[in-house]
Amino acid sequence: MTKLLKYMKGNRIIAVLAPLFKMLEATLELIVPLIIAEIVDSGIIPKNKDYVIKLSIQLIILGAVGLIFSITAQYFAAKAAVSTVKKLRHAAYEKVTSLSFSGLDKAGTSTLITRLTSDMDSVQNGINLTLRILLRSPFVVLGACIMAFRVDRHTSLIFFIAVPVLSLIIFAVMAVTIPLYKKIRETVDKSLLLVRENITGVRVIRAFCSEEKAVEEFKENNDILTGIQLFTGRISALLNPMTCVIVNLAIAALIYTGAVRVNKGLLTTGAVIALYNYLSQILVELIKLANLIVTVTKSFACGKRINALLEMQDEENEAAPADDEKSNSYIEFKNVSFSYSGNSENSVSDISFTVNKGDRIGIIGSTGSGKTTLINLLCGYYRPTRGTVFFKGIPLQNYDEKELRNCFALAEQKAVIFKGTVKSNLLLGKKNASDEEIIKALEIAQAADFVNEKENGTDSITEQSGRNFSGGQRQRLSIARAVIKNAEVLILDDAFSALDYATEAQLKKELDKHCDATQFIVSQRAGSIVNCDKIIVLEDGLAEIGTHDELLKKSSVYKEIYCAQFEQEDVVNA
Amino acid sequence: MLKNNNSSFGKVLRYIGKYKYLLITSLILSASGVLLALYIPVLAGRAIDFIIGEGKVDFSRLTPVIIRIAVIAIASAVIQWIANTINNRIAFNTVRDLRNDAVKKVNILPVAYLDSRSSGDIVSRIIADADQISDGLIMGFSQLFSGIVTVVITYVLMLRISPKITPVVVILTPMSILIAKFIAKNTHNMFKLQSSERGTQTAFIDETVTNRKIISSYNGETDAIKTFDEINDRVAGYSLRAIFFSSITNPSTRFVNNTIYAAVAFMGALLAIGGSITVGGLTCFLSYAGQFAKPFNEISGVIAEFQNALACAERLFEIIEAEPEAPDKAGALELGRAEGNISISNVCFSYTKDRKLIEDLNLTAEKGTKIAIVGPTGCGKTTVINLLMRFYDVDSGSISVDLTDIRDIKLKSLRKNYGMVLQETWIKTGTVKENIAMGLPEVSFEQIKEAAVSAHAHSFIKKLPEGYDTVISEEYGLSQGQKQLICIARIMLLMPSILILDEATSSIDVRTELKIRAAFDRIVKGRTSFIVAHRLSTIKNSDIILVMNNGKIIEQGNHSELMAKHGFYEKLYNSRNY
Repeated sequence: MTKLLKYMKGNRIIAVLAPLFKMLEATLELIVPLIIAEIVDSGIIPKNKDYVIKLSIQLIILGAVGLIFSITAQYFAAKAAVSTVKKLRHAAYEKVTSLSFSGLDKAGTSTLITRLTSDMDSVQNGINLTLRILLRSPFVVLGACIMAFRVDRHTSLIFFIAVPVLSLIIFAVMAVTIPLYKKIRETVDKSLLLVRENITGVRVIRAFCSEEKAVEEFKENNDILTGIQLFTGRISALLNPMTCVIVNLAIAALIYTGAVRVNKGLLTTGAVIALYNYLSQILVELIKLANLIVTVTKSFACGKRINALLEMQDEENEAAPADDEKSNSYIEFKNVSFSYSGNSENSVSDISFTVNKGDRIGIIGSTGSGKTTLINLLCGYYRPTRGTVFFKGIPLQNYDEKELRNCFALAEQKAVIFKGTVKSNLLLGKKNASDEEIIKALEIAQAADFVNEKENGTDSITEQSGRNFSGGQRQRLSIARAVIKNAEVLILDDAFSALDYATEAQLKKELDKHCDATQFIVSQRAGSIVNCDKIIVLEDGLAEIGTHDELLKKSSVYKEIYCAQFEQEDVVNA
Repeated sequence: MLKNNNSSFGKVLRYIGKYKYLLITSLILSASGVLLALYIPVLAGRAIDFIIGEGKVDFSRLTPVIIRIAVIAIASAVIQWIANTINNRIAFNTVRDLRNDAVKKVNILPVAYLDSRSSGDIVSRIIADADQISDGLIMGFSQLFSGIVTVVITYVLMLRISPKITPVVVILTPMSILIAKFIAKNTHNMFKLQSSERGTQTAFIDETVTNRKIISSYNGETDAIKTFDEINDRVAGYSLRAIFFSSITNPSTRFVNNTIYAAVAFMGALLAIGGSITVGGLTCFLSYAGQFAKPFNEISGVIAEFQNALACAERLFEIIEAEPEAPDKAGALELGRAEGNISISNVCFSYTKDRKLIEDLNLTAEKGTKIAIVGPTGCGKTTVINLLMRFYDVDSGSISVDLTDIRDIKLKSLRKNYGMVLQETWIKTGTVKENIAMGLPEVSFEQIKEAAVSAHAHSFIKKLPEGYDTVISEEYGLSQGQKQLICIARIMLLMPSILILDEATSSIDVRTELKIRAAFDRIVKGRTSFIVAHRLSTIKNSDIILVMNNGKIIEQGNHSELMAKHGFYEKLYNSRNY
C-alpha cells in the first residue's frame, strides 16, 4: 500500500490538509474535558452560575468551529481519495495495455478486470477512511495522553502504559486477520466459480448424471469457507472487548490513583474528572478505529493486489538484446522453436522457411498442431524460445513494437467486434479512413450486403462482442477491418471458417484483386490454400514446406488431409 | 413490496430457526453485556463522589467500588466476545445453508429456467446476495438489538440520576437522525449516478482487456486509454460528489451531540450548584448522554442495510423456491441398459407460446440406426436433442425409448443411456482426468487414457505441463477443438447405448475428425446415434437423414435417395450454403 502512495502526488497538499483539519477538530475536542474540569472546580464547587453559563457557551462554539473544520477535512479526504484512485486506475489500465501477451496470459484477464474495478473501489474507500478517521483516532489518543500528562504527570503514567498495550492488541489482531481475509476472498472466488460452472455446464452435468457430485463439491468448499470465516470472526471479535477491558481497568486505576492524589492535596476533583474523560475519549476513538480496521484491512489487501499488478515483471516487455544477424529474405523463420511458459514441450519446433514479398502462404494442420503459435511468432506477439524471425532482413525483436504492429493486419477465427458502430470498428483499422475506403473494404470482405441491409448502414450499432451479428458476419467485418488497415502483411487465421464456400471464394478473389499485401492464410480446409505460393503443413509442431504439388509428393500428412477432403467434399479446386 | 419483504424476512428467520438456541443465548448475552458495560460509568461516578477533597477521601468505601469496576469490566468483555462469536456462527452458518440449498436447487431446476436467465445474475444471487444477507440482516439485527438495549438501559439510568436533565437528551437526540436522513435523501441520486457510470467503466474494461490482442494488433492502445480516461474522469467526478456529500453526515450528527453535551453540562452544573445532583452523578450522566446518541446515529445505516439485505434475500429465495424439474412419476421405470429403439410420434414443441417451432415430428429408429439431422440454422435441430434428453418436455405427442414413453422412465436412468457431445463444449475446472471421467466415479487411469487415445486427445494432453493431472478450465487456453476432443473422450469412456453428437466435431480439423469418425464408427456399431452436423460430408453415410426446415421434417431417407429426389437436400448439398 505504501508503494501506492506515489499516486497521491499532486494531491499531496490535499492529502495533508485533510488530516490536518481533522486534527484541528480533534484538538478542539481535547479542550472539552478541560472546560468540564473548569466547570466543576471553578463553577460548581464555588457555586458560580455566571461562569457556568460562559463555559457552556464556549462548549457550543467549540462544537460549531469543529463542524466547519470537520466538513473541510471531509472534502479534502474525498478529493484526495478520488483523485488518487483515478490516477491509480489510469496507471493500472495503462499497465494492462502494455503487458506482453505472455504476461497477459500469465495474469489472466478475469483477475485483471477485478483489479481494475472492484479492487480500485475498495482502495478508494480505504484511502478516504484512512484520511478521515484512521489518522484522526491516533491523534486523539496521543493528544489525550499529552493533555493527561499536562494535567497530572504522575497519574498520566497509566495512559502511557494503557495506550501501547491497546496499540499492540490492535496490531496483533490486524496482523493475524489480514492474511485470513485474503484466504476468505480466494475461497469465495472458488465458490463463485463452482456455481457458475453448475449453470453453464447444466446440460453436461445432467447428461452425465453428475448433479450430486456437483452439489457435494460445492458443499465441501462452502464448509471450508464457513470454517475460515468462523475462525477469522473469532479473532476479529476479540478486538472490541479487549480494548474495552483495558480502558476500563485503566479507569479503575485512574480513579484510585486520583483519589490518593486528591487526598494528599496534589490534584483537584475536576482534574480527576478531566482525566477520566480523556480515557473515555480514547475508548470511543479506539472502538471507531477497531471497527474501521476491518474495512481498511480489506482495502489494504486489494491495494496489495493492485500493486502486484503494477509491479508485475514482464520479461518480454524488456528490450531484447539487439541482434546483428541479417537475412536476405522478406520474411524468414530461422530454426524457430517456441513453448508457452509453463509448458515443457515445444508448440512449434525448429521451423525454418522464407517468404518473398507479395507471396501467398498457406498454413494447414490439425487442431493443436501449432498454426496459431506460428502466427503469434510472426507478428512478434511472442518471442521465440529459440531461433530468430526476420522481417525485411532484420530480426523482429529489433523493431519498435508499434512500428511492427503497423506492418501486420490480422483477422482471426473468433472475430472480435467492439461495442460501437460498424464504422467505429473499421476505423480501428485506419483512423482517418474516408467513407469510400470503408465501403470499399466492406465490399472486398463481402460484408457490404448485410451492412447495407441494416437501417443505418455503416452507422449501425454493434453491441458488445458484436452479438447482434452472426458468426460469419463478424468474421467478414473483422476481415474488412484488417483490409482497411492496408498493412504490408495480411494474416487470415482461419478467418473463413464460418463462411460458405461461395462467399469464401468471392472474398479471396476480391482480396487478390485489390490487395497487394503478402498474405498468410491459416485454414483447416485444404481447398482454401491449394493455390498458395507456399504451403506450410504443421503436425505436432513440426513443419513441412512446399507447393501443393511438391507436398502431395513428399508429405504424407498433407496428402492425407487433401485426400480426406477431396474425397469427402468432392472438392476439385481446378 | 413491504409484504414481500416481510415474507422473505420470515423465510430468513426459518433458516435462522435452526440455530434458535444459539440466537436466544446470543440475545441474552448481548443484553447482559450491554448492561454490565453501562454499569461501569455508574460505578465510576459513585467512586468520584468519594473523592471530595484534600484529606477527605473515603478509601474504605472507594476501594470496593474500584474492585467492582475491574471485575465487571472483565466480565462484560468476556460476555461480549462470546456473544460476537455466537453471532458469527449464526450468520455464517445460515449463509452456508442458504447457499447449499440454492446450489442444490440449481442442479434440479429445469434447463429451461437456466436457459432463460443470465448465469451471471444467478451467480451473483447465490454469492453476493447471500453475503449481504449475513452482513445486513443478521449482523444488522444484532447491532439493532444491542442498540435498542443500550437506549433503554441508558434512558432508565439517566432517569435515576436526574429526571430533570433526561428530557433534554431524549428530545434533542432525534435531531441527529433527522439530519442524517435529510443528507441521505439528497445524496441518493449522486450514488445512483456513480454506480451507473461505474457500470459503464466496468463494461469498457471488460471489453478492452478481454480483447487486448486485437486492440494491440491495431495499435489501438492509445485510443483505448483515451476513452478510458474520459470515463475515468466522469467516474471520479460522480464519486467525489457522492462521497463528500454523504460524509457530511458524521460531522453534523457529531455537532448535534456536542450541543447536547454542552446543554447537559450546563443544566447539570446548575443543578449541582443547587445540590440536587452530585459531581460524580454529572460525570456519569455526561458519559451516558454520549452513549444514548450513538445507537441513534447507527440506526439509519443499519436500517438501510437491513432493507437492502431483505431485497437480496428476496432475490435469493426466488432461486431457492423456484419450481424444480418434475420429479419422476410414481412407478416410473428404471431403464437399465436400453436397447436403443427410439420412436418419436406426433411431437409438437415450442420454447415460447407465440412461436411454434416443432410441429408433428415423427421418426422411428431401430437399435443401431445412424440418424443424421440437417437443415439451416434455427430449423430445430438442437431442439430435437433437447427433447430426446428431456432437457425440455414435449408439448404434445410422445417420445419413447424401447417402447416406453420417456416421461414414464426415471430421468436419471434415461439420461445414463445417452452419451452427448455438444458444439458448445464445457470444461469443468479440474484435472484432465476428472474431466474425462465425468460420467463415472470409479474408473482406472488406464481406462481414461484409453478413452483419450481413441478420441485422439492423448497427443495434446500429454503435452500439457502436467499431462492428465493438469488443471484445466474454460479459460485455460485449450483451443475449441481440443475442448471438443476432451468432450468426445468422455463419451468414449462412457460407451452409452444412444449417442448424441450435436455439431460435435465442428471445431476439429478434417483430418482429426476423420480419425475420430473411425473411432465413432467402432462405438456406434450396434448403438443408436443422432448426429447434427454442419458439414454435410460428415453425415453422408447415415442410415436416415432427416432434413429439417422450420421445425418440420421435410425430407427423410439416405443420401442417395435424397439426392435422387432433387429436392431441398440436393440443393443444400450442392450449395453447402448455410
